[in-house]
Amino acid sequence: MIHFELAQPQNLQELTTFLTKTNGSSTPLAGGTDLMSLVKDGIIRPEVVVDLSTVPELRGIRKDQVGVRIGALTTIKELASDPIIEKTFPGLRQAALSIGSPQLRNVGTVGGNLCQRPRCWYFRDPLFTCRKKGGSRCFAARGRNKYHAIFGGGICHIVHPSDLAPALISLEAKVKIVSPVGEKEMPLENFFTLPSVSVRQENILQPGEILTEVILPPPSPRKKSIYLKFTERGSWDFAVVSVAVSGVVEGQRITKPRVILGGVAPIPWRLPGFESKIEGHQLKETAVAAAALEALSEARPLEENRYKVDLAGVWLTRAVLSLLS
Amino acid sequence: MNPLRPEPDGLTYLEQAARQEPVAQPVSAPTKEFKYVGQKVRRVDGHLVVTGKAPYTHDIKLEGMAWGKILRSPYPAAEITALDLTPALSRRGVLAAVKLTTGRVRYIGEPIAAVAAVDEATAEEAIQSIKVEYKVLPFVVSPEKAMEENAPQVLDSPNVQKLFEYTRGNIKEGEAQAEVIIERTYQTSIEVHHPAETHASIAQWKNGRLIIWDSTQAIFSVRDQIARSLNIPASQVRVIKKYMGGGFGSKLGLNDHTVAAALLAKEAGRPVKIVLSRRENAYCVGNRPSSRITIRGGAKRDGTLTFLHMKNYTGGGVGRGDRCSEPLIDIYRCPHVLVEEYSVFTNTCASRPTRAPGHVQGTFALEGFLEELAAELKMDPLELRRKNYSDKNLGDTGIPYSSKGLLECYRLGAEAIGWNRRNPVPGQAKGKIKRGIGMATQIWWGAGVPGTVADLKVYPDGSIEAICGTQDLGGGTRTYIAAIIADVLGLEPQDITVRIGDTDYPWAPSSGGSQTTPSVGPAFLDAALKAAKELKAIASKKLNCPAENVEIRNRRFIDKSKPENSLSFSDVARELRRVTVFHGERAGLPPGFAYNSFGAHFAEVEVDTETGRVKVLKVVAAHEVGRVVNRQTAESQVVGGMTQGLSASLFEERVMDEAEGRCVNTNLHDYKIATFLDIPEIITLFVDSIDPRINNLGSKGLGEPPRIPVAAAIANAVFNALGVHPAIIPMTPERILRLLRPKEEKP
Amino acid sequence: MPADKKRFKKGISRRDFLKGIGGGAVGTALSAHLLPPALASAGAQAGSPPLLSSKRITFSLNGKETTVEVEPAETLLHLLRDKLQLTGTKKVCDHGSCGGCTVLVDDQAVYSCLYPAFRVNGKHVVTIEGLSNGKDLHPVQQAYIDHDAYQCGFCTPGFILATLALLRQKASPSVEEIRAGLSGNICRCGNQAKILAAVKALASQKGGAL
Repeated sequence: MIHFELAQPQNLQELTTFLTKTNGSSTPLAGGTDLMSLVKDGIIRPEVVVDLSTVPELRGIRKDQVGVRIGALTTIKELASDPIIEKTFPGLRQAALSIGSPQLRNVGTVGGNLCQRPRCWYFRDPLFTCRKKGGSRCFAARGRNKYHAIFGGGICHIVHPSDLAPALISLEAKVKIVSPVGEKEMPLENFFTLPSVSVRQENILQPGEILTEVILPPPSPRKKSIYLKFTERGSWDFAVVSVAVSGVVEGQRITKPRVILGGVAPIPWRLPGFESKIEGHQLKETAVAAAALEALSEARPLEENRYKVDLAGVWLTRAVLSLLS
Repeated sequence: MNPLRPEPDGLTYLEQAARQEPVAQPVSAPTKEFKYVGQKVRRVDGHLVVTGKAPYTHDIKLEGMAWGKILRSPYPAAEITALDLTPALSRRGVLAAVKLTTGRVRYIGEPIAAVAAVDEATAEEAIQSIKVEYKVLPFVVSPEKAMEENAPQVLDSPNVQKLFEYTRGNIKEGEAQAEVIIERTYQTSIEVHHPAETHASIAQWKNGRLIIWDSTQAIFSVRDQIARSLNIPASQVRVIKKYMGGGFGSKLGLNDHTVAAALLAKEAGRPVKIVLSRRENAYCVGNRPSSRITIRGGAKRDGTLTFLHMKNYTGGGVGRGDRCSEPLIDIYRCPHVLVEEYSVFTNTCASRPTRAPGHVQGTFALEGFLEELAAELKMDPLELRRKNYSDKNLGDTGIPYSSKGLLECYRLGAEAIGWNRRNPVPGQAKGKIKRGIGMATQIWWGAGVPGTVADLKVYPDGSIEAICGTQDLGGGTRTYIAAIIADVLGLEPQDITVRIGDTDYPWAPSSGGSQTTPSVGPAFLDAALKAAKELKAIASKKLNCPAENVEIRNRRFIDKSKPENSLSFSDVARELRRVTVFHGERAGLPPGFAYNSFGAHFAEVEVDTETGRVKVLKVVAAHEVGRVVNRQTAESQVVGGMTQGLSASLFEERVMDEAEGRCVNTNLHDYKIATFLDIPEIITLFVDSIDPRINNLGSKGLGEPPRIPVAAAIANAVFNALGVHPAIIPMTPERILRLLRPKEEKP
Repeated sequence: MPADKKRFKKGISRRDFLKGIGGGAVGTALSAHLLPPALASAGAQAGSPPLLSSKRITFSLNGKETTVEVEPAETLLHLLRDKLQLTGTKKVCDHGSCGGCTVLVDDQAVYSCLYPAFRVNGKHVVTIEGLSNGKDLHPVQQAYIDHDAYQCGFCTPGFILATLALLRQKASPSVEEIRAGLSGNICRCGNQAKILAAVKALASQKGGAL
């Protein structure tokens, strides 16, 4: 019933040539754990799929003078079990281990995790033609929205489902994007886009562009990181709220903190106000909680997800305090 | 070791039981009487399951088999004004198409037409090509909205209808006697069965006879219902079910897709298989109906209940929902009771029995109420239950229970959980993360069905076949059948070939309601005892000793007074000279007694008051179900019931978009079922007893009991931790946080 | 199988493909000519991969070399159950949410319902049918029977393979590691406590590679 055609480039050169020639009309296939599910439900109907697993340059983790490079096709399991990651980016490892289930981590990839489509139940259900699928409304706005956005919603209230994204952004990761016209690098933070920019997609990738690499800055022994995820179930659940924090910790002080919330907005949601509030001070629980409360005063919850605001406050406080301890 | 070995009074337990003389209390289990029954017996068919060879309906492929698909209503309410199958029939690969309804559809997923094609994909494409014109009608999917005055009418009668009524005594009188009165409301959400194996049927017409392979809990119901539906004699229908991937009540009767498969198979002239999708399972094959139960009741200061008044609104879609009052009417001594239950109809598919229908919801409410009443009385909640303990049904106003081991369940469970560790005053726990311990009581039926028949075939070479048209849902039916027969005939369980799951075999009831073991087990015990008697008579002649001196063990007939004087089992069986069938039957229930099973669950939880997350740390289940036939599989039943109950307590809920009338969590990701990491330590305890009246085995059913009190025990533990009762399941973080939010902030 | 073959040649996929991108006016006969200009030249260009509407793959299936033709969108689950009649692998949720379809690909547990069949080319696939030699059960299978680690048995093949993958990764996992390692599989009958007992027993056994 479901059909598409397949291209299997054997190296990066072949991949880019193919992308150039097909002019963006193909759909990249990484681990397939999200794509196959979307295809089965008819949410996307790719005509041509380009298999990225045959491109060896897209795999693996290596360290060079720029930092740590993670190929987009590196599996979540490989990421979580990599000694460099474990030693220097604990927050990233925690995020990786919190993803889905063992089976999904064995197959799912770093690139796929960053580019996965939202889990909004209206988006995933073929019976609802919502804005994201070309329809004229967001069913979540006045429908069932306990898992939906408390920030940045507006015309579409999805939350970005990635666990790696908040962790990577907190670690100042960049991404490399290959396109028919060449390649570019950009901060991962700028990769994601709000529905107000383009409701049909969640990132800046144009047809024919592929995320090929994630680049982390060189490991710094003074920098600490943490990823804390709140889910309803113990496993195989997306974040109701998650918090990624990184920064240089000395005693009860954090400098250069980067704090990103997951599961609360259509993109990983950075809290610059909160960061500056907690930066450099001798931190106590009450101060962190107060800063969190202030940061969350801008949240615009829907009818059924007010609790996410409370949760985000608690989770922010606990994440910062755990990083300090 | 010999099951027929006389007890000191000269009668074996089984002979005593057969006399059905009144016994005041359940007798404790004679463990020596049986070698296998009552012990842990490994499944006799385990190898088939663990090698992937067990034939589930999903796995069966017949020669020339076609695939069927069903076109279902995409609207919660509509009038079908035109239905044209020609576009489907004209597609390549399509073999047959049938209309299943004309007129009105009342829920999303109601079947409209069906198509058979050479493969599944072609059938799917074909149903999408069928031309249907709908006149879309107003609908309502939430019970609350359906109760409003101007709500669209779901059926041809009002949306709210009386379901059940019960009175005893006079609640006004009870109210006057009460020193403490409270009123509380409890709610349970709609829970979907989602068996691992979705519903599936294969239909084949062979020489004018209809053969159906069905993923069903009830082969005989399917046979009789489809015969009626197709207007053919039941003798011309054969239904087969060998292995099934779960049912939990959703597979207890005939389904539309089975009828569709039969119609399509006839038209196509070849077998047709229909396997429902996960989505169809979410929309079309039932669920546990919701409940909204208000209990107003009172007690004297010492805890003596004086009256209970229960009102329930149950939401079962286009079905009538569940009666939930049975536990309240029955368990505790209470002279004045009034029950009013109402069905609230909505445009969603009809609910179906779901493991302990009504009792799960009713127990959640009743046991929550008692917990809150105990707090009000400043009384130990377990003490309150003991205070109102009864030995007769209908709250001590009816007839005596055949046996009741509930007090022992209380004792065992309280000890295992460490009952004294609970907060003496609910909510007293300090800190952000609070712990609590709670408990709840359970009652169920499960006496089995008199008239269940079973055949035991003894072959002249000594081999044995056990034949019965019962079905194994995963409870291990084949294994306990083999164990019972092996025990009586001195054989090993693996010596017995068990054949079940076919309507051409002797009749047995549906496998639901905890009926299978107490129906089938006694029938086979009866057959085995008859076989033993005849074989012993033969052996006594050959051994030249009195029949009562013959003992059967280790596959031999032995002269007890001279053990070296013995014969092999086959030497004796050979004298039968032909295959001999011993018919066994499950006897009637002695009148004058109420037949119920009992149990109590205890739970310890940890509630994070900042995140609303409830973590279950430990659960203890103590059950009294008469004789435990196979401890191995009985423990699995209990562990499974508790785990399902936990899952429903914390996660499971069908979520409807009310404006669109659709379910938004039809897949197994959004419909959340407990994962391995959510399941705590589970302790399973049985009160070792035998019900001397219920049947020759002394056993009650165990399917439902462990599913019943879980949510109530967990919610009561949360109450013990927080001092405020969650009063609704599932207890999601969102609901717990709302519960804890200061009152003025509540929306 | 003939029906599948037919679809390779003539097909919905190509028709939809043209419809989808509005290239209906381009060519009529050969596959390459049916493509829109950009794709057609891509196929012709050296160094650019060809477009496949089916793929012949060879892989080891339970130790036996197997060659079969698959469609790009076909899942490993479909290949196993529907084409190769290995029905021990079950379809439960069909969306990678329950683990019922778990098989091993190069020793790693994967959800075969989301795993593209063409990807097993050159790999080792183990299904429940490949664990026992016909006479003796695999130790994991035996442990599941000994501890009554199932009820209806439908999720059991998936659980057994997830267990095997876990134990091959770590011979003696802790209780928490077992729970986490098997958390991608759901047992609707709720028998996890018994599964835990079975795997604990396996984990404590010394020696004997699984």
